[in-house]
Amino acid sequence: MTDPDRPDYPIDEAVEAADGQPVAPVSQTRRRVLALGAAGAGAVLSIRPALAQTAGSVLTCQIPVPDSGRAGSFIAPDGSTVPAGTKGAFAPPGRPFQGEDVKRAMAGGRLPGTTYESNRAYVNYIRRLQRGQGGFTCFASLQMPRG
Amino acid sequence: MRFRAAPADALLQASLDPFTAVFHRPSGQTHLLVSPAPEMLAALADGPLSLSDLHDALAAAFQLEDAEGLADRMAELVAAGLVTAEPAA
Repeated sequence: MTDPDRPDYPIDEAVEAADGQPVAPVSQTRRRVLALGAAGAGAVLSIRPALAQTAGSVLTCQIPVPDSGRAGSFIAPDGSTVPAGTKGAFAPPGRPFQGEDVKRAMAGGRLPGTTYESNRAYVNYIRRLQRGQGGFTCFASLQMPRG
Repeated sequence: MRFRAAPADALLQASLDPFTAVFHRPSGQTHLLVSPAPEMLAALADGPLSLSDLHDALAAAFQLEDAEGLADRMAELVAAGLVTAEPAA
């Protein structure tokens, strides 16, 4: 059904400018809004993996930094392993960390014998552990809720 | 600095509106993502990008808001192990 005064513009689709002159309907592709700022807790929530472990063995299990496959490598601030001597990276701690020490560090404490910066580097390394790397099972078990 | 997403075959994704569940096979960890994290992962699917190039890719597909938050969102993906940072080529 068109407006008899404006036969080219259907009544229910006519758009008028402020001066009353008709304006042809404009169609445009509207892109979805994507907000890059965080609302609340951020955009990524990591869920604890489900692995069976007794409470005692969790706290006494060990996590080497780095694992034996990367022995001698230094730890960069983001937790990646880099060649020994890389500027800004940290030498390995020299002994594996106990599960209870890592659990405490994950809760905001500090690994024994570390500075603020080296603690952060080691914790980032541990957070990046993958299945097959030494210490992965111990780390994964630390995140298992205890009943 | 460029950012590389985990390879597609390392991830198992499921849409659980409004979340995207992502199972990372190498670590055995599961993550729940909300926008813009899934969109950022998708934009990195074809190869690593710098933050600037990622911003441009997202801007081509979306109307961006709070663009200064991109670096923080990327840090979350890196911390989760879903994206790794590497030197620019």
